[in-house]
Order: sequence, then C-alpha cells, then structure tokens
Amino acid sequence: MRARPPTLRDKKRYVLAAIEPCYTEIDPRQMYYALFDVVSSLFGDVGAGRIKMTVISCDKGYVIARCIRGTEAQVETAMAALTSVDEHHIALRTLATSGTLHGLKGCIRTLPTLAEGGVCMIEGQDYTAFHLPLEKVDLFMGNKDQERLYFTEDDLEEF
Amino acid sequence: MIATDACVYPYPAGDSSIRRMALEARKLGFDSIVCAGAPESSEVAGVRVLAGVIISRSNMKEVISAVRKEGRHAEIIMVNAGEERFNRSVVSYHGIHILRGISHVKRGFDHVGAKTAASSGVAVDFDLSEIIQKNGHARQKVLSCYADILRLQRHYGFRLTLSGGAHSYLDLRSVRDMTNLCALFGMKKDEVAEALANVGRLLSPEQVVEVIR
Repeated sequence: MRARPPTLRDKKRYVLAAIEPCYTEIDPRQMYYALFDVVSSLFGDVGAGRIKMTVISCDKGYVIARCIRGTEAQVETAMAALTSVDEHHIALRTLATSGTLHGLKGCIRTLPTLAEGGVCMIEGQDYTAFHLPLEKVDLFMGNKDQERLYFTEDDLEEF
Repeated sequence: MIATDACVYPYPAGDSSIRRMALEARKLGFDSIVCAGAPESSEVAGVRVLAGVIISRSNMKEVISAVRKEGRHAEIIMVNAGEERFNRSVVSYHGIHILRGISHVKRGFDHVGAKTAASSGVAVDFDLSEIIQKNGHARQKVLSCYADILRLQRHYGFRLTLSGGAHSYLDLRSVRDMTNLCALFGMKKDEVAEALANVGRLLSPEQVVEVIR
C-alpha cells in the first residue's frame, strides 16, 4: 500500500508520562494492553477506535503513547485511571504532549539511582531500605515484588 | 487553600507515610491534603496536612456522640453516607464538614438533602478512587450517581469536595488528572477548581460583614 500524501494523513499527538515508582520495569506490550483496556473501558469501542492509541515506547521510567490529535485529554484520563500493569502497582504521571517525538525529549530526565540503605525493622517486620532523591525511602519486605512501604528519611528516624 | 485533596489514608491505613504523601501532593499541584486518622494538623514540605476523621455510624445519635468524642482533635469531620433520611440529618448538622461515600447507597441524596446541605454549608464529597478502581457496571453506576449529584449541585449550589481516596502515594492524582476524570461525568474545569478549593472554605466559612462604629 502506498503512503498517503501528508495532507490526507491523520494528525497525531504524542503524550509523555512518567512511571511511578520510577524503577519499575514494564514490558511495552503489557503497558499497551493495560492502557488500551482502560481506554476501551472508559470510552467504549467507538471511542477507542477514534483515539487510535498506541504505546510508542515504555522504557527507563517513561512511557510515550501516540493518539489522534484532539484526543490527548482522553489518553491522559486513561493514564490517570491506570493503577496496575502486569501485577505491578504503578501510577502514570502525564508530563507533556507534543506533535513530535523530538518535542518530548526535553522533558525526559535520567532516572535516579536506588541506593540501598540497609535493613530496618517496622512493627516487627524487616524491610530493606532504598533511598531516592528528596529524602524519599522505599522499603521492601523480602524481594521487590512483596509488600512495600513508602516513607521519607524523617519517618525512619521516628521508628 | 487553593487545591485540597479531601481524603487520603496514610500509613498505617495505607502504605505511604504522611510526609511522603505530602511530598507527592506538592508535586501534583496540591497545597493541602486531608489525612484521615492523622493525629494532628501540620505543615510538611509546604503542604498543609489537615487532620481528618471519618465517622461511620448507622444512626444520627451515634454520629453526634462520635463527633463530640473523635472530632475534638480533627479539623475536618467526615461522615460516611447511609440511607436517605440519615443523609438529610447529617447534612443539617453544623458540626460535620463533609458527607462522603454517597455513591455506595442507592438514591441516598435527593433535592431535599441538597437544599439542606446548601443552607447548612455541609459539603458532599466525590471520591475519584471509585472511578479509578472500579470497572464496568460498578463504574457506570458511580459515574451516573456523580452526574446526578452534580445536577443537584448546579441547581441548589451546595458545596462539593474532591478526594482521591489514596491509600498509597501511587494512588494520588494531579489536579489536571482530577479535572480529566471529573470531565467523565460532566464536571467543568471551573467547577473542579471550586470543588478543590472548598475544603478551605469549610474551615473559614463566609460570614456577614458587620460594621462596628
């Protein structure tokens, strides 16, 4: 099939969102399925067909979704309604919308590194502490897929 | 207070501490949050943390005694909605700030309740976690309930508040996200902004200006 002339092509928009927690690794395909599920649940088959949402990339703590121009707000709504992907409890924080992928690159920052800060005990349970910028501390019980607590360094001093 | 999340559940009810919730709330555009079960009000990282209490009782007599007991240290007193008559009594009682969980009951809020809420200054809360967490038929019922209450609000002018019902900092939603989610049941941008500012208005209600000579 020959490519359409530019004037007859659909105008697209790219939506950039940060994945929280930033260290969560998600397969782009799983992200697409989860987002598409929310889009079709919120806006129905007709809406999902009109939005034509696809996930362009899902890597290094950021996800970029593409949609038809004028439906960015609906994609942002779907991102706000997404709570988990592949059994990972996550949140998507929309950062920017642009007509080109190049326009979004300025909003992408390098991921902070997780610094392991030893083991601490909270209510009789051992948690491994990982330090993040802004005095944030994520506590993992056992491996990273088990129970988590999200504290700050000031909170740890109180325990 | 310009933007307040009307109810979050910090640790131990949730998995994030009050400070972590406040840090995230500031990043998401809020200047204050109401923490259910917080021992006292405070200010963390430029975000005002208001101590809130949620009262869940089946009759008004128990609610009044709970307001006297539990509401002593809380700045915001919220009551979980029940059947229609109970809700009418709740919104007419001046010691209560917010009626929440209105979508849990069928036909729990009508025009009489709306008129009473408007005159007594008690707000009705829209919990957006009900839209986020639920799916299919349950979500449709919540959306239609909120649209119905919004129609009453536009007519009678009682106060609305918006809450994320977050048990984790991951469940907090930004002001922009809340605006988008509220658009699902027909709430406009300026109505969302007003609802977000209503917690501040509940704490310092408008009064008649008196001229002292």
